[in-house]
Amino acid sequence: MTFISNLINGISLGSVYAIIALGYTMVYGIAKMLNFAHGDVIMIGAYMSFCATTYLHLPVPAAIFMAMCVCTILGIVIEGLAYKPLRRATSLAVLITAIGVSYFLQNIALIIWGSAPKTFSSVVPFGSLRLFGGELIITAESIVTVLANIVIMVGLAIFTKKSKMGKAMRAVSEDKDAAELMGINVNVTISVTFAIGSALAAIAGVLLCSAYPVLMPTTGAMPGIKAFTAAVFGGIGSIPGAMLGGILLGIIEIFSKSYISTQLSDAIVFGVLIVVLLVKPTGLLGKKIAEKV
Amino acid sequence: MSKILTVDNINVYYGQIHAIKDVSVDVEEGEVVALIGANGAGKSTTLRTISGLLRTKTGGITFEGEDITHIDAYKLVSRGLAHVPEGRRVFLQMTVLENLEMGAFTRKGDIKASINDVFERFPRLEERKYQIAGTLSGGEQQMLAMGRALMSKPKLMMLDEPSMGLSPILVQQVFDIVTELNKSGTTILLVEQNAEMALKIADRAYVLESGRIKISGTGKELAASDEIKKAYLGG
Repeated sequence: MTFISNLINGISLGSVYAIIALGYTMVYGIAKMLNFAHGDVIMIGAYMSFCATTYLHLPVPAAIFMAMCVCTILGIVIEGLAYKPLRRATSLAVLITAIGVSYFLQNIALIIWGSAPKTFSSVVPFGSLRLFGGELIITAESIVTVLANIVIMVGLAIFTKKSKMGKAMRAVSEDKDAAELMGINVNVTISVTFAIGSALAAIAGVLLCSAYPVLMPTTGAMPGIKAFTAAVFGGIGSIPGAMLGGILLGIIEIFSKSYISTQLSDAIVFGVLIVVLLVKPTGLLGKKIAEKV
Repeated sequence: MSKILTVDNINVYYGQIHAIKDVSVDVEEGEVVALIGANGAGKSTTLRTISGLLRTKTGGITFEGEDITHIDAYKLVSRGLAHVPEGRRVFLQMTVLENLEMGAFTRKGDIKASINDVFERFPRLEERKYQIAGTLSGGEQQMLAMGRALMSKPKLMMLDEPSMGLSPILVQQVFDIVTELNKSGTTILLVEQNAEMALKIADRAYVLESGRIKISGTGKELAASDEIKKAYLGG
């Protein structure tokens, strides 16, 4: 039973990683940059939801909606102010800027909310599910997280396959100049990608803090790095890759924590990443299509 | 006949490198105009500047009587300017059909009729419409790139090295298609290294050398010129 319960916890944690990893992978796919501030957008989303329920006494759905709106705007503003002027700069300059934005957001949170951790109350109003006479306990947060992940993945798959903007995003991620020659406004497409990734980050923040209810300015940093790892693990730029990478990473992390060592779990997670990248440098689902001439 | 495109004295730089020097090109409505010259002469750079992917430091570009010198590339498509870039640049991970849809990105309303027109012109594409473009052969990709550009219903189509990397039979086919497109009312600005073929179908041509226009004239004149023969037509 502990095996199954570990597996469920792993899938649930992995689902959070997967939702965050989507933001990394979509932005990387389209803007060819690693947005290291993405993890901190999660933290801002969680604080927004916290403030909305605690101070404004808004109902949970309204609080989540508010967090998503704030993060969406934040994502667009970050892209417009910090990254857009660097569109033709070296990737190293963009990377350093992203790290700068990350610290900037953490310090803003420190000024506004202080360094003392806030206790985040779960947004899920149901109790845990008890199966097999109480031997297997599945938390309601796990169920909601996994369901949210599935809905988001299916939604994004339909969006990128069917909608005009989704197709434009795929075109831009493949070839910016060619997309521009089709009449696609590349800048708008990149902004929309940041907006979607940031809205998803808000959801991830709320789900993460519902399961692990300690909220501080650095809350987003570690899950952000892990989700980035998950995106690379699955094949950066690939949406199904983010899903697979996230869930596998969550499972590996929970299993190493419960069977090997809590202290070593992160080392094991990153160790597995290194092994995977040695064997398959493009990640699990990352592929390069053969070009015929 | 009226001028559809006027390129007036442009100078384009890549950083410190002065790639295009005082280039002026005119295209009349209904013409096929060729830009020929060796590799690195600045042919593609000229096209990229016209379509707004690069900027000129001096002079100006007029399309259908309007100044487009500082207009973003993506805004020119709906005005009737299509650019088939060098190396085809189809979206390799999208299907043939999706590539055509992207070509019609700026159009509103039904595009079915246009898709059928493209399939009529390029039956191979219809056979492969659900295939990923990356699995097409080079010739098929060139057809797709041209079909995709046609989807925007262009008045002027700029083709950059459409014959590059194709077998002689396919080269002939591509040039036949270009001639057909022109007959059905599309003005063509063609960039080619294959000077012989290009001069055969061109009403007029410009020869670029190291970023400058060296000579210009009608296709026939240039094809008959000794200098051109020696430099570009292999004797």
